Amino acid sequence: MSETVDKTALISLETVSRSFGAIRAVDGVSFDLRPGEIHALCGHNGAGKSTVVKMITGLVQPDEGRIVVSGSESSIRSPQEAQELGIAFVDQELSVVPILSVADNIQLGGVSEPFFNRPGKTRGRVRELLDMVGLQGLDPSDPVSGLSMGGRQLVEIGRALGRDARVLVLDEPTATLSTAEIEHVFSAIRSVAATGCGVIFVSHRLDEVLELCDRVTVLRDGKLVDTADTSAIDVDQLVSMMLGDVPPAAAPSLPEQGRAGRTAVEVSGLAVGARTRGFWLKGDHGHVYALAGQVGCGATEILRAIAGLEPTATGNVVIDERRLSLGSPESAVAGGVSYLSNDRKGDGLFLGLTAEENLVSTRLDDVSRGPLLNMASLKKAAVGLAETIGLAPERLPEPAENFSGGNQQKIFIGRTLDRSETKLLLLDEPTRGVDVKGRMEIHKLVRDAARDGTTVIFASTEIDEILDLADDIVTMRSGLVVGRHPRSEVDAELLLGEMTHGQPEKVPA
Amino acid sequence: MSGGVSGTAVGAPEHAAASRGARRIILLILQGLVAVAALVILAGAITTQGFFSLDNVQAILASVGFVGMVAVGMTVIMISGSFVSMSLGTQAAVTAIFFIWALKFGVAPAIATTIVFGLVIGAIQGYAIGAFGANPIVLTIAVVAVIEGLVVVFSSGGTQTPPDNAYTFLNDTHFGLPLSFYVMLGVVAIGELIMRRTRFGKQVYMVGDNPLAAYVAGLPMGKIGAGVFGLAGAAAAVAGIMLGAYNQGASLLLTGSLTYDAIAATLVGGTLVSGGKGSVWKTLVGALVIATITDLLLLRGYSNGVQIMVKGLLVIVVVIVVHLRSQGRPS
Repeated sequence: MSETVDKTALISLETVSRSFGAIRAVDGVSFDLRPGEIHALCGHNGAGKSTVVKMITGLVQPDEGRIVVSGSESSIRSPQEAQELGIAFVDQELSVVPILSVADNIQLGGVSEPFFNRPGKTRGRVRELLDMVGLQGLDPSDPVSGLSMGGRQLVEIGRALGRDARVLVLDEPTATLSTAEIEHVFSAIRSVAATGCGVIFVSHRLDEVLELCDRVTVLRDGKLVDTADTSAIDVDQLVSMMLGDVPPAAAPSLPEQGRAGRTAVEVSGLAVGARTRGFWLKGDHGHVYALAGQVGCGATEILRAIAGLEPTATGNVVIDERRLSLGSPESAVAGGVSYLSNDRKGDGLFLGLTAEENLVSTRLDDVSRGPLLNMASLKKAAVGLAETIGLAPERLPEPAENFSGGNQQKIFIGRTLDRSETKLLLLDEPTRGVDVKGRMEIHKLVRDAARDGTTVIFASTEIDEILDLADDIVTMRSGLVVGRHPRSEVDAELLLGEMTHGQPEKVPA
Repeated sequence: MSGGVSGTAVGAPEHAAASRGARRIILLILQGLVAVAALVILAGAITTQGFFSLDNVQAILASVGFVGMVAVGMTVIMISGSFVSMSLGTQAAVTAIFFIWALKFGVAPAIATTIVFGLVIGAIQGYAIGAFGANPIVLTIAVVAVIEGLVVVFSSGGTQTPPDNAYTFLNDTHFGLPLSFYVMLGVVAIGELIMRRTRFGKQVYMVGDNPLAAYVAGLPMGKIGAGVFGLAGAAAAVAGIMLGAYNQGASLLLTGSLTYDAIAATLVGGTLVSGGKGSVWKTLVGALVIATITDLLLLRGYSNGVQIMVKGLLVIVVVIVVHLRSQGRPS
């Protein structure tokens, strides 16, 4: 690890810290980026990677420590200031505008862009940028909508370069790309670095990190573990740097009675798009299954497909010997599927409606006589659910948006509980943005649901959650299954290894 | 009457803590304006000769009958998140023409078939909007053109006149108010009951609050859309029946600015433009507020232009206040 500041560094962080409330997200982290270097930033969820990236790109400011850009101390107070300092950021979520042309997208949002565009003047520059990122054959006037995800990623990189960037920050650029596309993106990154640019590469995929990067900085719990040359370490060493001293795994906390059962859910040959293929799972009553993998591993797509939200999905899903039609959420619900997305505010809760209305939203049939609601039984059902999820019944008339993240998530999960129609419960990141206490309560709710005979499949990127909640674990990477294990036979190291660089199962063509 | 609206607008926001300074100031200014306007109207009402006479109150109440019925449907549409229907006025006109034509089969069959006819026209539009995500404004504007075209083709655009006088009881006056006022109250009561006390009503609020969440939760979006616009179509058909009877005949010119007046009443009643919040009876309050102000301007001799402008200003202020208040949600 570099203790002294390199004068030639493009950017160096010197013991920067940042707290959010009581949580110290980044704690005294130092590292530097040299010209022409590809520098990986690694760490498990919550390690502080994204906060470091936000400091460099001007989205948050450090509480302590300083950031030195090209030899002079700089405060980066906004993304615009970062851009003026020559720092370009390519986000995990693509921000290209599909209906605009490639050339327009490359010029989009640049601070030096003139008010009136003069295509003649910029055409040569756009061509140069496209060549640099390996899009030699692409016509700049083509719309971006015709490009693959990888092509769009390259256009974004081209846009970042077009702003005369000296530092290029890439956050999980390969999370949703196929292998061939990843190769294209890598060679673009290499040719960018060859021009003297520094690249910060944030990734969960450790084999990629070792293949592409010169050095790697590992963070854990907000603190710096080490900065190492990638030539000096292997994947196993990287994994143990990320995990640190793992306490011996807690014994499986599930009651044995939940474990016996017969096959309730059978998924086979499930495919979504070109990446996520050949997924199968046999699910017993009362069992909790984890789909464990990093962002972009395909678990979200699998859950969405079973819930009827991926129109292009193919394959078989059989629940209690009835084949499910994958066409629409309506038919999935009719087949006994309850699905909770990883985005409770976006496509989950009805934030403007009351907690009571949210809780009964999926069981209006149970509290109606014909088309008319039975207000007494509606109230009773809502109060019962409030007690189950540990919500004070006096708060039922409050709009859902008034509740904390943890309580919102409990309301979200509450609406699937005590429903005799629910045979398969699908949860995507069931405790995202929830504090430790809320997480334990939510895990208990899920286990209780399983004990009542429901089959539960959840997707998670968080090792602790997977180990705490699952009976059986399916690890995934790049859209494919890597391994299948009973909970009792895995530990954190094995899981993280499979999630970050495991060899996928063969999929019959 | 204006007290009703200023009361809802001035009520302290429950989540003021999370709101930003600038928005709070604008909100305070606007709420102050509403309060001042309410005082001006009150002062105007007191100093205007004849405003508090029984005749005038009856005139105000009678004037909200037709717009009130159409506004019930408009409110349900806006709560469902489909903004507005631009075709409800035209639907009222075409159902009026249908009703007058159907009178030759008897009054009761004519009423029943007209309501079913209105319901079907609405439900077809609503299914397209709910199931296939058609843009409600574009679709309903197109429906206006289709309906007008069909009517011209089949009736050459002339006025349909009733075959006999069996229907005239629809124009009777009871306790000083026309039957259409009581029918409107009935439509409001049914609308309120459906929205508050049925499974369908709850689902409409859910779709309006977060259509994506409603879809993901497996709600039948097509059926709900068909129900919303079918209900609005049926309410517009009731308005069409009463309008046809009132005018002793029907043509496409019958309904004038009915669509816009219904939208104004819905907005002044505080329904959230983006859906999920609002109620049918508040829309009735909105309609009464507009009718009261219009009446006051009329009595004081202001021109038609001033009346329209004041109506527009009222809608703008209420929409901004409702918007700012709903933005006060902590995110």
